[in-house]
Amino acid sequence: MNAKQAIKVENLVKNFGKGDSFVEVINGASFEVNKGELVALVAPSGAGKTTLLMMIGCVEEPTNGTIWLGEEKIYDNKWLTKETRKIRREKIGFIFQAHYLIPFLNILENITLVPQTNGVSEEESKKIAFELLKYFEIEDKAYAMTSELSGGQNQRAAIARALANKPQIILADEPTAALDSKRSVDVVKMLKKIAIEQDVAVIMVTHDEAMLPLCDRILKIENKQVVSSKIVKDKVIL
Amino acid sequence: MINLAQKEIAHTLGKFIVTAMGVGMLLGIVLIMMGVYRGMVIDAQVLLNDLDVDFWIVQENTLGPFAESSRIHEDLKDTIKVIRGIDKSEGITFQNLQLPSKEGAIRVFAVGFDPFGDISPINPKRLIKGRSINKSHYEMVVSDKTGFKLRDVIRLGRDDYKVVGITHGTVSSGGDPLVYISLKDAQELQFLYSNERIRADRARGINTLNSHIVNAVIATKKSGYDTNIIAKDLRRFKHQSVYTKKQEKTILTKNLIKMASKQIGMFTVILVIVSTIIIALIIYTMTLEKMKEIAIMKLIGIPNSMIIKMIVQETLIMGVLAFISGNIFAHLIYAKFPKRVVLEIPDASMLFIVVIFASILASLVGVKKVISADPSEAIGG
Repeated sequence: MNAKQAIKVENLVKNFGKGDSFVEVINGASFEVNKGELVALVAPSGAGKTTLLMMIGCVEEPTNGTIWLGEEKIYDNKWLTKETRKIRREKIGFIFQAHYLIPFLNILENITLVPQTNGVSEEESKKIAFELLKYFEIEDKAYAMTSELSGGQNQRAAIARALANKPQIILADEPTAALDSKRSVDVVKMLKKIAIEQDVAVIMVTHDEAMLPLCDRILKIENKQVVSSKIVKDKVIL
Repeated sequence: MINLAQKEIAHTLGKFIVTAMGVGMLLGIVLIMMGVYRGMVIDAQVLLNDLDVDFWIVQENTLGPFAESSRIHEDLKDTIKVIRGIDKSEGITFQNLQLPSKEGAIRVFAVGFDPFGDISPINPKRLIKGRSINKSHYEMVVSDKTGFKLRDVIRLGRDDYKVVGITHGTVSSGGDPLVYISLKDAQELQFLYSNERIRADRARGINTLNSHIVNAVIATKKSGYDTNIIAKDLRRFKHQSVYTKKQEKTILTKNLIKMASKQIGMFTVILVIVSTIIIALIIYTMTLEKMKEIAIMKLIGIPNSMIIKMIVQETLIMGVLAFISGNIFAHLIYAKFPKRVVLEIPDASMLFIVVIFASILASLVGVKKVISADPSEAIGG
């Protein structure tokens, strides 16, 4: 296990159903993502991108395999902890296609909710939140409700929320799907910047090929397995 | 720590308050139902308290004039008066009458008493206009609820009665307004037949002229004498039953309004169950409306305990708000009911406990939904 490694997956298998309804989605996927890396996860619709993301995110239990989060093995044919939700809360940040901020909380409360749940004091949580809001240039929207912000501002607030617990890994499920091409590029560049500056691994599910050259690597699901591709000078090398 | 329930309520404050007010109206009706029962108990005791006598001597093997027909001879009062320990003793009659008025017949409960006797059923504190009866015949004191005014003349049987006094708050156990007439008039109205009937009875050899009958003889005791010992002495007389004030009160409040209280109790229980179901449905709908947010919260690692706390707190706040608005609603409308409605703090306190319990019960449907919410629903749209 190298020190730069944020996540490592070995021989991950995911099946659904039994008998006639049996479906094999992932069969023996192995890959790793390092800290500071922005990785795109691509595959045709229904190939299991979201399922893979949910398994890495401790939401969906795999059928078999091994998952390391940092240096901690969290899954070895079964969850090694009952507190998968705690792992999500403390080590993983989620970004979605829509911002999915909680509408009855203001932006500041949305960002401080997870750190406060982790036991960080209210004062410290606010300090972290304001730093992030400043970083994303929406500091003046701290006390605004989500309905008062534009789509782009909300998405930045959602990214700030994902970072508030200082995660080891950020899982982004099509974060640019609802944005125009210029804003999409801005968001992916921002994720890249975050990956480097915050030293976190970012796995981004995307259908937008124009975003791929902005990533460090591509993970492609092929034949129920994960194939890694490198990107050299904005070109994908398979 | 962020209070999720408080934030959610603040976000949908108007809707939340209107919903709570709707449930509150139901709870207000529950309070009114309880108040109607309390009113019935108080109404039942008005006459009893105004008379304030220690003994009720009635026809043997009957529960007395408030419960069933009772007839005893008027002169029994003189026999009773000389019993050791008895202070005052009088005959009294009770009967339902229909008083003719411009709006149609008014049903009243008439009390006949001896205006020159020792015991008067008219409580001076309740006499708001005019005076008590001071003639043997053709005078009447009426409750203000009848709508009659001083000096109105009311035709009853063969005679005209003049209203000489108006009382307030005087009703029978059945809720009918009370009117007071002299014992002689009452006896004639109740026991004296028409001349044709008397002639017909005479032809049959029956003497029906004796109207010296009363429905009960009431008596008070001298101070220092034991009620139970005097009652025991009175029971030695044949052809009569004797009840103490406490026993008569029990007959009125428990025996007579038992069915009514059961009826009201049933309505109250049904309304509380309906309120619980409505609160549960509201909470369930409110929970369904935030399933996406709940899935997101679960996905980003918010523990179930925090989300469940939000649901339970919201339900409890809904219950408390509904209870408060129910109280306000009940206090605004209770005076408009034709019968007496008495809103009491112990009833409201009991309802509050029931509402809290019902709210916790109702929140379980929301809690169940939270526990079953799949965090993966947040991903993939």
